[in-house]
Amino acid sequence: MDKFTALEPTRLYASGSIKRTSRPSTVSRSIGKLPVDLHFLVLSHLPIPDIPAYARASKATADLSRNEKAWERRWNDLGITRHALDDTLDDLESKQKAKARSRSPPTIPVDSLDDEFGEFTSAPGMPSVPSLSAAFTSFADVPPGKHTFRLRYMRAHSILRKCLHPLLQPPHAVLSALTPLIGSSLLFQARSLRLLTFFLSPRIQPVRNWDILLAALKAAIDRFDASLLTAFDSADSRGDEVMMKEAAHASWQVWPGVGDWEMGKVWAEKREILYEQGRWNPLANFTNENTLDFTPMDEFMASIIHALEEYGTRAVLVFPPSAGVLIGFAERVANEVVGEYIAPLLTRAREISNALYLTAVAASFRESWRIVDVLTTVSSDFSGEGKNKAEDVVFMMFESHMDEYLDEEIESLKQAFEVVCKEWDRSTLALASHGASIQGQQNRFLNAQNPALMKRTVLASFTDMLLLPVTIVPRTVGAGVVAVGGAVGGAVGAVGTGMVQGIAMLNPQRWVGGAGSVDSAKEYASYRSAEGEGAIFEIGAYEDQEEGGEGLDDTIPPSSARDVTVITSTSAATTSLVPRTSGTPEPPATSVSTTKRKLVPTEKLDLLLSLDVALQLIHADRDALKRLETFASYPGWYGTRVRETIEEAFCEMLGVLSNRHLERGFGIATERMNSYKPAEHEETTNVAPLLQFFELVHVGDTIQSMVQVFFDKALAPYIDKTDFLNMVVREKKRFENTLDDCVAAGLNAGTQVLMNQVEHIILTLTKPREYYPPEDAPQELGPTKGCTEAIRCLDMHCKLLKGSTSKEVLEVFYQEVGIRLLAILQKHIKRQIISLNGGFQVIADLNAYYSFIVSLKVVSVTADFSHLKMLGHVFVVEEAKDLAQIVRDVTRYGGAYRPEDIYEFIQRRADWKKIEKTVDKTMYNLSFKEDCIIC
Amino acid sequence: MVLLVTSDNVQFQVDKEVVERSVLIKNMLEDVGESDQSIPLANVSSSVLKKVIEYCEHHRGEPLPSADADQNQDETRKRTTDISEWDQKFITVDQEMLFEIILAANYLDIKSLLDVGCKTVANMIKGKTPEEIRRLFNIVNDFTPEEEAQIKKENEWAEDR
Repeated sequence: MDKFTALEPTRLYASGSIKRTSRPSTVSRSIGKLPVDLHFLVLSHLPIPDIPAYARASKATADLSRNEKAWERRWNDLGITRHALDDTLDDLESKQKAKARSRSPPTIPVDSLDDEFGEFTSAPGMPSVPSLSAAFTSFADVPPGKHTFRLRYMRAHSILRKCLHPLLQPPHAVLSALTPLIGSSLLFQARSLRLLTFFLSPRIQPVRNWDILLAALKAAIDRFDASLLTAFDSADSRGDEVMMKEAAHASWQVWPGVGDWEMGKVWAEKREILYEQGRWNPLANFTNENTLDFTPMDEFMASIIHALEEYGTRAVLVFPPSAGVLIGFAERVANEVVGEYIAPLLTRAREISNALYLTAVAASFRESWRIVDVLTTVSSDFSGEGKNKAEDVVFMMFESHMDEYLDEEIESLKQAFEVVCKEWDRSTLALASHGASIQGQQNRFLNAQNPALMKRTVLASFTDMLLLPVTIVPRTVGAGVVAVGGAVGGAVGAVGTGMVQGIAMLNPQRWVGGAGSVDSAKEYASYRSAEGEGAIFEIGAYEDQEEGGEGLDDTIPPSSARDVTVITSTSAATTSLVPRTSGTPEPPATSVSTTKRKLVPTEKLDLLLSLDVALQLIHADRDALKRLETFASYPGWYGTRVRETIEEAFCEMLGVLSNRHLERGFGIATERMNSYKPAEHEETTNVAPLLQFFELVHVGDTIQSMVQVFFDKALAPYIDKTDFLNMVVREKKRFENTLDDCVAAGLNAGTQVLMNQVEHIILTLTKPREYYPPEDAPQELGPTKGCTEAIRCLDMHCKLLKGSTSKEVLEVFYQEVGIRLLAILQKHIKRQIISLNGGFQVIADLNAYYSFIVSLKVVSVTADFSHLKMLGHVFVVEEAKDLAQIVRDVTRYGGAYRPEDIYEFIQRRADWKKIEKTVDKTMYNLSFKEDCIIC
Repeated sequence: MVLLVTSDNVQFQVDKEVVERSVLIKNMLEDVGESDQSIPLANVSSSVLKKVIEYCEHHRGEPLPSADADQNQDETRKRTTDISEWDQKFITVDQEMLFEIILAANYLDIKSLLDVGCKTVANMIKGKTPEEIRRLFNIVNDFTPEEEAQIKKENEWAEDR
């Protein structure tokens, strides 16, 4: 017995189950051999006809048989609430009642259940089931939702049971026997049949022979469905949408929920659009010159859209929304028609060239996207949340092309960059071999009256250009570029068009002119045309176009450097050649939009950085990004890949721009500055490499701003700008750092060069007796020529940097200049022999230097120079003793010079030999006496 | 391996994977962790446990029914309205044993086995008179004849005549 105490868990379990039952059991926890909850489980598997016997076994089982939970389960199994079949049930009931009434009493014995029902209603106040009888009496007017589940089930059971006897008829007669019971409306019949299917399910087992009846019912339903299909077909051929709808909805009702829904499938299969592939030739999208013209695809899509619209509207009207016939149909159209159309198109494009392929992919995707648009307009199911479903149709159709496309996009982008960079390298190299003439350069930014304003103008037009719409789908030839483009323009293809378009927008004439420095534009113009075309040709590999372009080039001899032709927008942008001489300002009217200048590249081009290269890179990138953007809404795995590719494309551009272009350009500039020998050049105030470098800093700054603008406009929507771990943000930071490093390195070398130059100026321009003038020479108290020249040179270069670099960099630069100048001056003074009169000259020079330094506004250096100025005084003191005093007075020089240092300076006095002894004596005796503690 | 000890002190060495079909033991093992100690099953006798283990062995590796939403359970029940052939054979035992198995399955919380058992019992009830049902479950008739007539009337609608 001890062991049975361990039965405790069961006890707990059982008591828990009692709580679950709605009525507390009057008998013990277990009924007979089994606990109540196990009885409950058994009961839930019991067929309905066995329940009366079970209930009669004992009070406990009777109680259990009324358990609401069990009945709720059975009620739910009927699926009436789930499938909204309440109305059907009500209708069935009312039909039966009507029939019962019309048939009059004699039929009652047949419908024995009616009898039973009547009995219940006429027996109110039965002690054990008061609620039941009360509820039964008010069946007709109380909505069924208010009854207990048992009552609701009982009602449904009694109604549905009466519909079962026709099922025992021979198969062909079942339907006709059912008709009087379930009405003649197709939809109602269908819903009733469905209800019966639920009723006769193995989970309910309402009657003993439910399995036989269910088989008969299924057969009847099949027949019913077949007849619906026939009705639907004939209605379809008549165009009778009402009938179609009725049949379709009825058929949808009896569809068991597994497998394909026959009617929708059959309907979709009958659409002619699925079998008309032969009518369309995908290869018609290629022009004779092997370029793209999507007009045929436009037509093709228009017919697809038309079909989708027509059939779609009908499908929405006819089929129940949950059947998803429209989406299924759209999928078939997308995969079997559009997909089949696109595949050969892309294959052919790929054969021709990669650039063409990329354009074709983006274009055909954009075209296919119209399916989504039409679906959303046709059916309200696809607006809002449901739009995803419509989009998925196209996404899934296109998925097979995505891998190849994304890889190819990056690959071509790299190639395009390579081409641009190579072209640039080649042209710089060519220039180098020509012998770079430093004097020949132009300094746009430096010459402009207001570099900052000019930069803003450049950026503004750059931004405009970024906002330009990109033609993804090439329609009529070259429409993207010039409205009246014609065949030649079209031949450029999309890659070319984008570039040309953008470059044209950034016409240098416009912004340079605006900035007031007209002639400086020519260099850019020439670069643009030379490289722009090169790049276009190489990317596009349009053989004939290239020839054409070269041919045109050749027809204009380099010597005819006058305005020969101004072909405006009527002809293609690439071929509009506007040779011009330098210094001839173009009238603004001709420089509008698509006009492009062509300059014979004999100009001395010495810029190491080119806005154009940056532009071309950004352009190539922008084209790629725009194409990629078409796919940006892709969901799932490919969506991630698309976004990754977008990031990669941008990073690639930054990498190329910084490594191949900026670093290189700045590197050469720095190198050049390092090798600059001031002595070899005649001009003194102007350090050419430094100027050039400053120009580079401006260009670099502009490029960085352009990148920033591009980043903001093109990329910001796809990445989190604040996420410092993001690849793009990191890469951009790196790019900026590279630029800063380049500028810093260059600045370092530049300072060196500048100071060399200054030293050179001071050395060469200081006459031997500058500070030791003959006694009789007239005193003019102004700075010497060497001094003024040096200051002029310094001043000019210092001003140049303003506005292009950050304040900090500028300050460091100024400070460096100051410190080095100080050293140069000290060295310089120590080289001179200075008379008393000359001393005034020294002071005058030092004052001039001081005022220059003050203008730089660098505090520490200003102090140093004020001390230097004080130092000048030692050359004008006549009395040796006074001199010694001054030398010793450390505070005079703010502690910058020790007496020993000043002693060195005074040695440069012309009268040094005479005063040396006195000074020595005064200095050291005095100090000896005063400072020595022992004495 | 897990060591089980029955009410009549018989030890069973069972694979962990097998024995974990019992949610009770599974939870217990999770709570206690691996140990060499035997698990006493004080209200399961050795003959019943042998049957239960036989069942668990056969269904080894099948997914356990998750104790999710009722809807979900409904679905699984729907699929298993019929008893599989093996289970049918397995459950063909004398009545006493059947009830023991059901009790053990309930105690050990082996849902599929419990279902099989209950279905079998339901099949046994099919077509039986109240008196036969009483005998089956060992129930005492506590109705007065009037009460029984009342219940009979109350459930008349469900009878299949």
